[in-house]
Amino acid sequence: MIEVGENILFYLPAVPLGTALLAFGIRSRRMVEVVHFAGISSVALLSLLLVQYVLRGQTLLALDGMLYADGLTALLVLIIGVVGFLDGFYSIGYLRHDLAQGQVDAKGACFYYGFYHLLLLTMVLAAISNNIAIMWVAIEATTLGSAFLVGFYKHKTAAEAVWKYVLICSVGLAFALYGTILTYSSAFAVVQDAHRAMLWTELVGMARGLDPQVMKLAFVFILIGYGAKVGLVPMHTWLPDTYSEAPSPVSALLSGVLMKCVLFGILRYYPITLQAVGKEFPQTLLLIFGLLSVGVAAFFILVQNDIKRKLAYSSVEHVGIIATGLGAGGPLGILAALFHVINHSLTKSLLFCTVGNVARKYGTRDAQKIRGMLKVAPFTGFMFMAGLLAVVGAPPFSIFVSEFMTLAAGLQGGYFWPMILFLVLLVIVFVAFIILISDTVLGFPPEDLPRGDAGWLCLLPLGILFLLMAGLGIHVPAPLNQLLQGAVSVVLGGK
Amino acid sequence: MSGTSVVNALAVLLILTSMLVVETRKLRRAAYMYSIQSLVLVAIFLSLAVFMQAEPLYIWSITALITKTFLVPYLIIRTLKTVGNQEEEGPALETSSSIFLAVGLVALSFVIVEPFHMHAVLKLKVALAVSIAHFLLGLLCILARRNALKQILGYCLMENGSHLTLAIMAYNAPETVEIGILTDAVFAVLIMTIIARRLFKVFGTLDTDKFTLLKG
Repeated sequence: MIEVGENILFYLPAVPLGTALLAFGIRSRRMVEVVHFAGISSVALLSLLLVQYVLRGQTLLALDGMLYADGLTALLVLIIGVVGFLDGFYSIGYLRHDLAQGQVDAKGACFYYGFYHLLLLTMVLAAISNNIAIMWVAIEATTLGSAFLVGFYKHKTAAEAVWKYVLICSVGLAFALYGTILTYSSAFAVVQDAHRAMLWTELVGMARGLDPQVMKLAFVFILIGYGAKVGLVPMHTWLPDTYSEAPSPVSALLSGVLMKCVLFGILRYYPITLQAVGKEFPQTLLLIFGLLSVGVAAFFILVQNDIKRKLAYSSVEHVGIIATGLGAGGPLGILAALFHVINHSLTKSLLFCTVGNVARKYGTRDAQKIRGMLKVAPFTGFMFMAGLLAVVGAPPFSIFVSEFMTLAAGLQGGYFWPMILFLVLLVIVFVAFIILISDTVLGFPPEDLPRGDAGWLCLLPLGILFLLMAGLGIHVPAPLNQLLQGAVSVVLGGK
Repeated sequence: MSGTSVVNALAVLLILTSMLVVETRKLRRAAYMYSIQSLVLVAIFLSLAVFMQAEPLYIWSITALITKTFLVPYLIIRTLKTVGNQEEEGPALETSSSIFLAVGLVALSFVIVEPFHMHAVLKLKVALAVSIAHFLLGLLCILARRNALKQILGYCLMENGSHLTLAIMAYNAPETVEIGILTDAVFAVLIMTIIARRLFKVFGTLDTDKFTLLKG
């Protein structure tokens, strides 16, 4: 085994940065694909390496405490590495199709890959930064880094979507900056040391001494600010537009990975707030936002016709479920939320990538016009069905397990009626997606539609995502379990 | 005049200039107003630096001068050259009611800062309240105005507000933090203006009420 130690905290951002710069400089399609593939593979390998260190019980610190990795970091970096790899892999086949159709030229493809790695860079930085202000800077940079990818197509609708995306997320993040400043200043009042008062590791240690009034306000600002960017209702209005107008692999990356990075920003404030103001305040807020998101999303999933928008609202729903788990609290609630984060990343990436294939085959995203997917493109159709079954929480897929845990944690926490509501809302979503399956996957395809699936480049990543998703529903491997337990204790106590 | 009263007086001036940014209908002029208001912000940084012996704020005032007084207005005006000098149309909020709202926001901000007992903040509570009011005023500008470029200016106002809060509560923070936040702010404005130009190209207008292709 290669021993890189703390240096891995430098390699992790350095690799996507280097790859991005290279991609921006290249003008050949073949070359940029090689560079891109090497880049995503290296990030995936480095993420596994980081997980290995953390599992050995190490917490890594570098650059005077500015960069840091514990169990929670490792979990997030693992998602960035693995799902980032698979979405990136799918991008290759997806873009080749656009290139062949003449929708995109080689230069456009190079920019796509360049920005893809720039986005990976900002997400990695958000994950490993121990300084809460730098974390904010990195999260704001994820919006800016992904703007090009969201507005990749030159449609009118894409321009409208990217405008809403950048404006609403930037405004939201301005609130999070306030939360960050408030946290810092109340910590500075305690330690009188500017450097230490910004480090998350220090903040957790002194959380009991922080001014509870100020920390309550700070948490509200953080939840509104970062909450806007994860898509909690009522700050979610940009999300369905953005996810539906972005290229499918980008939607997969935004929903599967970027959303989780921002969510982990909220998670970093959870133990601080828990200790500074007690569990009642943060948990109640999270529960309200969580249930509200699940409720509003359930309604929109039911009435939408555009399958990609349905999936976008499903992302709002799942962020709501994660927030509900955090709101239920306790070790079980946190474990449920974190496990759900992984499950949702895999499942939603699978679904968005699959929709990429579907929309190309049928030339539409209208659920009323897509019929008989299993007959037209069997592999894609099967993946779509499996993904939808998984996303509504049907066993044996992993979301079933984490939703069940969320419910149990809520009941354990004494939230009886909220959990009944939660269950009713999940049933509504269940019905909505079962209807979608019976309409689109089954049934008879249009006569004139030629049979045949997408190329292997657009199918293999789906297969891998499916195996991971199905595997986790049956058995959670011991190292992942250990990683999850470690992350739970970070969220609960900061250790 | 004591240091705090200078800062507090300048803070009030800041609110007045931001009202001008919000109320000016011609966008080129609004961009100049923003430039002036950033100059007031720089003056506040300087006076804080002098009166509170806050050395880092000298550097902040230089960076703010470059980015906010010149760079950001330049980006807006450069965009105006492509899209034509925009004038806001339609019945926006009446000036009297927006002044009324602004007063309300200032009052709200004073309520928000009430629980703050931190030593550094006590003397500058007025300025702190103004900074938060300023932030909310920017938000109001985004919500109440329909022109995309005006909304960008609203975002810049929010940004100036949070920058002032940062200067009051966290001027001693590590330098990397301020650099990071400013860089983000400039890039955010740059990217928003690029998108605005694209919007103008495909829609032929910057009226955000006309961008209604995506619904539900």
